Amino acid sequence: MSTSMTPRSSVPRQAGPDQAVRGNGHGILAAPPGMPQSPLEESSRRSRWVVGILLAVALLWTLVPLLWMLLSSFKNRTDVTSATPQVLFAPTLDNYRNLFTGSNNLGPYIWHSVLAAGISALLAVCLGALAGYGLARTQMRGKKHLAFWIISTRMAPIAAVVVPLFLIFRGLGLIDSIPGLVLAYLTFNLPFAIWLMSAFFAEVPASLEESALVAGCTRWQAFRTVILPLTKSGLVTTFVLCLVFAWNDYAFAVVFSGPNSQTLPIAASQLVTQTGIDWGQLTAIGTIVVVPMMLAGLAVRRWLVTGLTLGAVTGE
Amino acid sequence: MAHAADSSPVLRQAARPQSSAPKEPRVGFEGRMMTPGLILLAALSIVPFLALIAMSFSRVLLLGGVRLEVIGITNWVRFFTDADMWMSWLRTIIYFVLTVGLEMALGVGIALCLYRVLRGRNILLSLLLLPMFAAPVIVGLLGRYLTDSTFGLYAWVLRSLGYTGDILGSPVSAFAAVVLMDVWEWTPLIALITLAGLSSVPQSVREAAAVDGAPAWMTLRYIIFPAIANVLLVALLIRSMDAIRYFDIIWVTTNGGPADATKIVPIRLYETAFRFFDLGYAAAIGLAMLAFSIFIARTFVRLLDTRGLTR
Repeated sequence: MSTSMTPRSSVPRQAGPDQAVRGNGHGILAAPPGMPQSPLEESSRRSRWVVGILLAVALLWTLVPLLWMLLSSFKNRTDVTSATPQVLFAPTLDNYRNLFTGSNNLGPYIWHSVLAAGISALLAVCLGALAGYGLARTQMRGKKHLAFWIISTRMAPIAAVVVPLFLIFRGLGLIDSIPGLVLAYLTFNLPFAIWLMSAFFAEVPASLEESALVAGCTRWQAFRTVILPLTKSGLVTTFVLCLVFAWNDYAFAVVFSGPNSQTLPIAASQLVTQTGIDWGQLTAIGTIVVVPMMLAGLAVRRWLVTGLTLGAVTGE
Repeated sequence: MAHAADSSPVLRQAARPQSSAPKEPRVGFEGRMMTPGLILLAALSIVPFLALIAMSFSRVLLLGGVRLEVIGITNWVRFFTDADMWMSWLRTIIYFVLTVGLEMALGVGIALCLYRVLRGRNILLSLLLLPMFAAPVIVGLLGRYLTDSTFGLYAWVLRSLGYTGDILGSPVSAFAAVVLMDVWEWTPLIALITLAGLSSVPQSVREAAAVDGAPAWMTLRYIIFPAIANVLLVALLIRSMDAIRYFDIIWVTTNGGPADATKIVPIRLYETAFRFFDLGYAAAIGLAMLAFSIFIARTFVRLLDTRGLTR
């Protein structure tokens, strides 16, 4: 971002400054390059400052709660509930240690969360890849209605799904079991995976399969050896997003899980008791719940836009 | 059937020449691929949907085996005459408009700022996206910690600015707090989608505007916003659908209180179903919510169908 002579290097910032130059009565070329006093330089510098300040505020607003959670998880009992915020303190691992020892060991809950979220994400991706491919390539009548039905099951309010599922699961004895949770998570992960994978498959030109078919592959072989490897990033993105949705679930687990299937978010909410809250342990659980999903999410950042808009918008 | 291959996202591939399709049974390869997923999805959606309808016309007995006792439209009469219920809908709409509105405004603002950053944009974006991946229940609990009137960080900041009230203890500030927690978590999503839209605006268009001497706000109003209108609409719809799906934050912070100030419809439904075990009435509420979300889904799909969007 140097002078008005190089508009390409500073495209987004050009609009305002040029107006200023024109107001000068000289036109673009007349603006003396490198002169700090020129209206162009001044205006673009000001807008750069504004952008910088706004982004700094956004960063603070975004990160302070997360950093505070991380910090607090290393504080002892008095520091964590001190009336004046403690930034410098003697760090301790007690909160994490307490989570994994004693009667309320967190270990099983982590295992339940991993199982329920992992299995449901895996099933969703496998079935979603098959069905998504079919949906992307089929030319059947009523395809639109099919697609709409799939997306509307993804968008159904959790509260409206939980009530009948509760009744059905109670009849089938699926309350307080990992399979029950997996099925509950599939109600939103499966339609999501089908729709998203179909968007990824639609990006792959059909001519590729045709050449594979001409080369003597069966449809399945063409799918398995030609198409699927091309959508690897789609498969990974779908898996990660399904995992995040299921891992973060509270609304289903609070109804369906019990001692044998309690997940991490439930364990966290159960630290809130009538007698008070151990905020040290709670921030520690929070960190354990949040950090893995953040890492997983950022790992697929390139495809996040596609994933989270269900393929309606592509990024980068 | 060529007319089916129009612009919906799942339909947008080039039409495959008929000749290359091997002779296959009626269902076809695509059909067989879809079967397992769709059967499971049908079991997970149509069965509960029918159960929901049946429940809404019944009294649901849970003790001694699950039984439905048909009671006609009693639940629905109650639904339409329940004054508390109407208040909940009103609150839901206010909550919905505030959260989604703020998220759209702030998200677009952040995206516009980010778009001007040339160096380090990726790392900035990654940091700003973090809240999106946090479990809403943790966001709620963390919010509770930050706003605690004796040791909360934000309460302390507000105290030094002269505000001493209990944030989650009084109706207005509690409502504002749960709205802001949702805004904190989901603004990044809007920023992310908007930024993708901005990046797809051809540079030549902006340059042309710049050379013509258009002021920044005019470029924004007449060049940028029209170009990303579709993307913004997608962001709005995606966010709208999830805004009525999630209620975890309210559930663990105020649980609908104080004095029902944050009792939006899904909270009331949960209370009805799993605290009072009136599953029939809860089913009626659930169906009403479902109708609302199907309306949004319909709009979303129609939008994808009629406009090309970015792909």
